Amino acid sequence: MGKKIISLILALAAALTLGSCAAGGGSEKVTLSIMGKQSDLNKSYMTSIFRQYEEKTGNKIEVIAYEDEEYETSAAKDFKSGKAPDIFMHFHNADLNRFDVKDNFYYLSDEKWVSDLTDGARAYCTDADGNLLGLPFWENSVSGCYYNKTLLDSLGLKPASTQAEFDVLCQALADIGYTPICWPANGCSWMPQFGLDPIFADNPELLEKLNNNEISYSDISEVRDMVKWISDAADKGWFGNDFTKIGWDGISPSIGSGDAVMTFIWDTWFDTDFEPGNKYSADDFALMPVFMNTTDGGTYEGGNLNMMMLNKNSENLKSALEFLEFCAAPENYNKAFDGISTVNCFKGQTTNIQSKIVTDAAASIAEKERVSTAATRINGYSADDVASLFNMMFDKKTDFDGCVRLMDEYRLKEAEAQAAE
Amino acid sequence: MYNKKRFGKILLPLLMCLVAIAVIAIGAFYFNYISKRIYEDSTDHLTEIYSQVNRSFGAFVDQNWGLLESWEDYISENSAASNGAVPDFIKKEQTYWGFSDFYFIAWDSSCINLDGAKSAMTLGGAAPLSEPVMSSETLADGREVIVFAVPAPHGEYNGFGYDAVAISYTNADMASSLKVDAFSGKARCFVVQSDGNVLLSTQTGGNVFGNYLVYLKAASDLDDSEFEKIQNDWQSGTSGLLNCKIGGTRYCISYQPVGYQNYIMLSTVPQSVISAGFLSVQKTTINVFIIIFLLVFAAVIVLLILRARKQSRKDKTELKYRERMFDVLSNNVDDIFIMLDSENFGVDYISPNIERLLGIPVKEARENIKVLERCAPGVEVVIPRDEFEAIPLHESRDREYEYTHQGTGERRWYRMTIYHMDIQNIKKYIVVLSDRTLERQMNQKLQEALTAARSANEAKSNFLSNMSHDIRTPMNAIVGFSVLLEKDADKPEKVREYTRKITASGHHLLSLINDVLDMSKIESGKTSLNVDCFSLPELLEELNIILMPQAKAKHQDFKMHVQGTPPEQLIGDKLRLNQILINLLSNAIKYTPDNGKIEFFVCDIPDPLKQYAKLRFVVKDNGIGMSKEFREQIFNPFSREISSVTNKIQGTGLGMAITKNLVDLMGGIIHVESEPGKGSTFTVELSFAYPEKDETESWIKQEVSRILVTDDEEEVCLNIRELMLDAGMKVEYETDGVSAVKTALEAHRKGEDFDVILLDWKMPGLDGVETARRIREQVGDEIPILVLTSYDWSDIEIEAREAGINAFMPKPFFASTFWQTIKPLFIKHAEQPEPDVADANVMEGLHFLIAEDNDLNAEILTEMLGMEGATSERAADGREAVDMFEKSEPGHFDMILMDVQMPNMNGYDATRAIRASSHPEAADIPIVAMTANTFAEDVKNALDSGMNGHLSKPLNMTTAREMIGRFTNKNSAPNQSDEKGDK
Repeated sequence: MGKKIISLILALAAALTLGSCAAGGGSEKVTLSIMGKQSDLNKSYMTSIFRQYEEKTGNKIEVIAYEDEEYETSAAKDFKSGKAPDIFMHFHNADLNRFDVKDNFYYLSDEKWVSDLTDGARAYCTDADGNLLGLPFWENSVSGCYYNKTLLDSLGLKPASTQAEFDVLCQALADIGYTPICWPANGCSWMPQFGLDPIFADNPELLEKLNNNEISYSDISEVRDMVKWISDAADKGWFGNDFTKIGWDGISPSIGSGDAVMTFIWDTWFDTDFEPGNKYSADDFALMPVFMNTTDGGTYEGGNLNMMMLNKNSENLKSALEFLEFCAAPENYNKAFDGISTVNCFKGQTTNIQSKIVTDAAASIAEKERVSTAATRINGYSADDVASLFNMMFDKKTDFDGCVRLMDEYRLKEAEAQAAE
Repeated sequence: MYNKKRFGKILLPLLMCLVAIAVIAIGAFYFNYISKRIYEDSTDHLTEIYSQVNRSFGAFVDQNWGLLESWEDYISENSAASNGAVPDFIKKEQTYWGFSDFYFIAWDSSCINLDGAKSAMTLGGAAPLSEPVMSSETLADGREVIVFAVPAPHGEYNGFGYDAVAISYTNADMASSLKVDAFSGKARCFVVQSDGNVLLSTQTGGNVFGNYLVYLKAASDLDDSEFEKIQNDWQSGTSGLLNCKIGGTRYCISYQPVGYQNYIMLSTVPQSVISAGFLSVQKTTINVFIIIFLLVFAAVIVLLILRARKQSRKDKTELKYRERMFDVLSNNVDDIFIMLDSENFGVDYISPNIERLLGIPVKEARENIKVLERCAPGVEVVIPRDEFEAIPLHESRDREYEYTHQGTGERRWYRMTIYHMDIQNIKKYIVVLSDRTLERQMNQKLQEALTAARSANEAKSNFLSNMSHDIRTPMNAIVGFSVLLEKDADKPEKVREYTRKITASGHHLLSLINDVLDMSKIESGKTSLNVDCFSLPELLEELNIILMPQAKAKHQDFKMHVQGTPPEQLIGDKLRLNQILINLLSNAIKYTPDNGKIEFFVCDIPDPLKQYAKLRFVVKDNGIGMSKEFREQIFNPFSREISSVTNKIQGTGLGMAITKNLVDLMGGIIHVESEPGKGSTFTVELSFAYPEKDETESWIKQEVSRILVTDDEEEVCLNIRELMLDAGMKVEYETDGVSAVKTALEAHRKGEDFDVILLDWKMPGLDGVETARRIREQVGDEIPILVLTSYDWSDIEIEAREAGINAFMPKPFFASTFWQTIKPLFIKHAEQPEPDVADANVMEGLHFLIAEDNDLNAEILTEMLGMEGATSERAADGREAVDMFEKSEPGHFDMILMDVQMPNMNGYDATRAIRASSHPEAADIPIVAMTANTFAEDVKNALDSGMNGHLSKPLNMTTAREMIGRFTNKNSAPNQSDEKGDK
């Protein structure tokens, strides 16, 4: 059941001052409607930017908030019933088909503030044709291979910069008796998409053919290489002995104790889920790219960003464009993200708190970061399905060829289900 | 032989084991030595290879430094210019030499590249440079490079003041120059600083080793002392070689100083890779060694096989020869050899003579030895496994069975000896079947002989005992009554009484002696049969004549029956048959009380082949019978049942023994059934040959076609009818006289008179004589009437003839007797019989020559002849008799009575001499033997020597009269009451 909450926040103070500055003096104040998930709209940096905007322009922000789980469906209904908001908030650039992007949204590629966006953030909000769909305004993160630098140094080893080095490193660690990679196979499904990202991010035509059912996973050698590498890594003991039993809660003890040296995760996990008091702290870790035999230099996956898209059919389109410009102004976003732990979305971000791990790897991230492509762009991709099939492979219920074949079957079924929906 | 076997069984395998151990030990030592040598060579090779790599690396370093120094002047002259000459120059050189970048380095280690990109270098802490350095640098963009830098005159490039210049290589670029293809590409090479920091590595794709000393410390199994030595070596720039294990893999690590700064050239190779060469050599060596060993082994095996085959062929040939020899031997002996497997009792060997000896095919016996049971009927198990298995090893057991030859049915005794043997560690049973038939027969004969000897001894004792008693008894009477005779010589009545008793005792004594001699003769096997044709009816008639009076004297009912149609003419020894039947019948009479009943049956036993006439003679009485115990020994000599009855009956106990022996001699059988108080039945079965058929003259049969038979015993009538049926006679019968008269009358009235009427003498009601009389009265005298009787008819003959009876026939009825009896009645011109001279004194007036060596006998004979009215002269021996005859006038002697056993010349020789003499009466004078030798052989010998007859001693005058009358043409008819024969 949808529950529409309409909050009217009226800017009371300094209305005249704001009005003269924003509208060029004497112009009519507008109220912009913005639709989003309730939890998203309640983020501090969101309320901050709304408040700033209202204070400085005298315009009003009408927040249309839906419960998280009902958001996509309710929003789509609103768009179809002519109740589309002026500003529409949406996570990542995928799954927008139901909203008829071309007809409903305004492309933002030519706006002035675009140059201030980090490459990752920009790429994340750009469609397949290179059109910028929205303004990323969200907490950013970077997913990669987080490794125990202290431990590695103590072993006389260095992080890998290539797939070959990574394989040597894993074997060297295994030879000494360490679990090279913590692969939480029990209920954790995000890892495979890191390896798939470079395949499709670097080769959009493959993605298109795959989504058009012109090819299958089995036809893509990199996919087969990745699955084979994961299978071999498991067989060589690089994931440890009981990795299929390790879930979300097991990651922290595993790498915190030094039993495992590396894991494929994102930076903010160290802020939110890494348990203090272990042998190693977050300061002992560093970041290197994820290596899954799909790209020699490795890859990072950028964070999932919420972006603000504009209703091109709105009578308040001009005001909405002005609102985005207001948000993209360094003084405004630095004020909004002051003290927020996040990777930069804007090049001019200075007040946010960036993870030292990420900062140290900034150059590498800048070089090797890829937008989350597999999970967001492959029709019918289900991280849970892929994870379950990998577990079948780990349990020797199928080999890697069978696993690839099943990945296709599951993908196609899921795509059909989504299409039917 | 034993030592050879022992060598073969123990020493040879031991020797082979020792050789194998020695070969393995030598091989192990050899492999150890070779592996050590190869490992040393391999590590030397490793060290040598990386020494060369080290030198190449040194040359590479020198080259780079040399390049920079050679470029210094040009760069110094042109670096300040902005015409791009320096970049062009460097890029041209870069293309040629392959370095990745060129740097201008300031005194504070800051640097720029040709493009002006700023960075900083450590230069190993050597900045500002005073001499060339090589260092690992991490640039501002994060790239790691190896830098070769040399000090340069201070200059400026794009406004950047510099004091040194450098070129950089990526690790990959450097690695290719250090890459060693040896060791299958598994070798890694590092250039490290003395503290372990890795400058570069040949790691494929890059380097993950930051500090190799730290890595070794953490990952290897080196102990502290070893690790410390490495540290010291590296610090002091000393070369070294070590072996350690990292992560389950053993590595060989070689290190040597590069010669620049404090760099060390470090190489690591898995020992398995180093050993691969060794393993290859080792494998090849092992293979060669194995091949040589196998070849030698194969050669030895081949030699052994050839030798074994040769030996086997030799053994087989020898075995075949032995088998052949054994077969030949076993075929020619009567022992059967069988070898059985102790586990399954399968036949390993069986001698081929089993087929000859037992009639069992060898193949059949081989397949299943139980076929032997077929040969031993009555033996449940011939090869009892339990008994076999109970025989201890190397021991034997004997069993003895009677086997039947399967082909011929011959039964022979075999002793089965079972040996439990160990043949080449395999347990076997050897069974030997030895023919023991002869041995057994011999033993049996010996046993029998022993028994016979014992019996003979016992018999002798018994004989002497019996004879002592039996001879003494009559002798006692003779002597006693002789004494009394002398005493009462003047009393005629007493003399006659004593003389009669002496005579009776003498006859008994004579009978006893005759029986004893007869028995002796039979037992000594000297008895032979005098086979000739005889008439059964005559024999039976004679028996009747002899025995009827004895039975009559005891008022016994003695009847003789003929059953079936026994042949009337037979070929056999009539005398012995007579003796047998008289013995049986006289015993029956003797041991049957007065008024008892004795029946004598003669019946024929049908013989399908018609070759022999088989007759059964049955003597049945209701006398005293005998006990079972006595019945079982009745045929033993001198056996007499002791009882109050038998003790009063005189007998020798030899009669039945003689009878049994005579029956046996004639090939017959005799058996007795008896029960005390109920009588006895003796049955004798004998076979006789048929004589040539003597057909009764056919004319007489044509005269007779109907007969009327009358006998109160219907069985007799039916028997006669059956007997006459063969001759085509019609026989009607009646069982009483009245009916017979009536029948004869009715036939007469019809004009169908019977041709012959047969009447039993003694019938209830009208007897035969009376019946005949009445028939004559009513029918006339034409029909011949015969009386059939088993009694002596002489007493009634006159009365019978007066009644009209034409002739008498003895019972039992025989056809031949019948025809002979009626024949005269149908001959019109029948000759009249010669007058009876029975009472004439045939010896009256005769003169005898008596040849007798015994004076007493001569005197008795002379006296007895004298009593008959004859005279005699005596010769004391045969010679004298011959002389007396030859000297006598013709007609002087009428007859010669010749004793046989005489001194000087016996009777036979004397007879032959007389017959051969020139005396005119030599051939004709009757010579009669007169001897105590009374057997048939004696009679035959007498006749053969030329004598005319034989009289036995003591002389029976009746017999003597008859014989003398015959030879002197003075006949003497026998008195039926006297004894028949001359025994």
